[in-house]
Amino acid sequence: MAERPRTYTAEGVILRRRNIGEADSIFTVYSDREGKFDAVARGVRKTRSKMRGHLEPLTRSRFLIAKGRSLDVFAQAETVHHYRAVREDLDRAATAVYCAELVDRFTAERAPQEGLYSLLLGILDALEDGCGITVARYFEVQLLALSGYDLALDACALCTTPLAAEDTLLSPSAGGLVCRLCRPQAEGGRILGVRAVKVLRYARRATLDAFAALNLDPDLDAELRTALALVIRHTLERDLAATRFLEDVRRLPGPHPAPSPDGRVE
Amino acid sequence: MAEGAGTPEPIARLIEAFHRLPGIGPKSAQRLAYHILRVPPQEAEALASAIRDVKERIRFCSICLNITDTDPCAYCTDSRRDPSAICVVEQALDITAVERAGGFRGRYHVLHGVLNPIDGVGPEDLHIKELVTRLADGEVKEVIMATNSSLEGEATAMYIHRLVGPLGVKVTRLARGLPSGADLEYTDDLTLSRAFEGRQEI
Ligand SMILES: [Zn+2]
Ligand SMILES: [Zn+2]
Repeated sequence: MAERPRTYTAEGVILRRRNIGEADSIFTVYSDREGKFDAVARGVRKTRSKMRGHLEPLTRSRFLIAKGRSLDVFAQAETVHHYRAVREDLDRAATAVYCAELVDRFTAERAPQEGLYSLLLGILDALEDGCGITVARYFEVQLLALSGYDLALDACALCTTPLAAEDTLLSPSAGGLVCRLCRPQAEGGRILGVRAVKVLRYARRATLDAFAALNLDPDLDAELRTALALVIRHTLERDLAATRFLEDVRRLPGPHPAPSPDGRVE
Repeated sequence: MAEGAGTPEPIARLIEAFHRLPGIGPKSAQRLAYHILRVPPQEAEALASAIRDVKERIRFCSICLNITDTDPCAYCTDSRRDPSAICVVEQALDITAVERAGGFRGRYHVLHGVLNPIDGVGPEDLHIKELVTRLADGEVKEVIMATNSSLEGEATAMYIHRLVGPLGVKVTRLARGLPSGADLEYTDDLTLSRAFEGRQEI
């Protein structure tokens, strides 16, 4: 058997950090070529560490990684983007952390998903550029689609009848919108108003930039957020820690992201 | 760990106890245990009682949550310290660092942790409520956030800023710059750009 190379390079976004021992940390990275992986950075919590700062959660970095017997080891790390505006704004930081946790939960190790890395970078760039945190709805819809849980939005998830433009049930167990006739067969879920239905469809087919330009009003965003949270919980069979944090942040007194004067979708 | 069946049970237990301490590997744990075995009885007894005292006599200050053997702690009762400024730190050890540096003569507040949205450490897991209580009578004019410049430390500082800002208290953040001895070549852009903003005339 040919000897495999002992190091490799990757570019990725740090999703999370776990401290071990006195000065080491394990980082979970979602990368372009490797997908999700864990690696340890030795001595990274010491002030003099050369990698400290290049290995912060929500940082996009390039890595040189040495293969280890149980765990790979960061040999070098260099920041590509530190998303300063995101980490210095509580609403945006909480939203970015939520997206990072979603990526972590929806992926398996070393199994890169086509399109997911660019979706993650897209959302971080959008937040960095000052887009409203409602772009998280776009991220949720797209992530579900990329992960094989594409929501049925144009036709009934149960009988495939094309759906009319009306209030419609979004059913987590059916995997999408459900027509009036099938409603009794679908367990749980939430009835969405017609505007929310349109936003969902738009999130599925529009570009991130186009969706970000919508700037959803808070009520519409809350309607979609609650419904999509049900779908995500049903899919992952667990609650997300970042969801609780987002709720804590929403309970704080202002300044909340300014609602747009007009959040209508056509 | 590979303690042979021949190791007497009390020694195996001591090795196991040392091994659980941070930064102590199996080899060091073994060395420490056999060292204890060799020292005079009164030295071993002093260590044992120091450990017991720390658990029995040390508690949290009811005002600032610092670890202390008197309640309130020495910082909270020292009348020469300025009661209008509170420096908020992640852990009690950070007070020692601020005191060693000198220059701050106000009071402290220890959060005993930092918000960690990914690991599910929320505001209710930290001693934030106690901080808000301390601000109620209007005596405190400034809250200085001395949390780390990590994502979690920043989030904690911003969270507290948003929470107590409306109470009319000024919330400030320690300047973030280059650690002394830092090598520019290896400094990340974020630290460097913040250090530039905090530059001073020489
Ligand atoms: Zn149907
Ligand atoms: Zn005290």
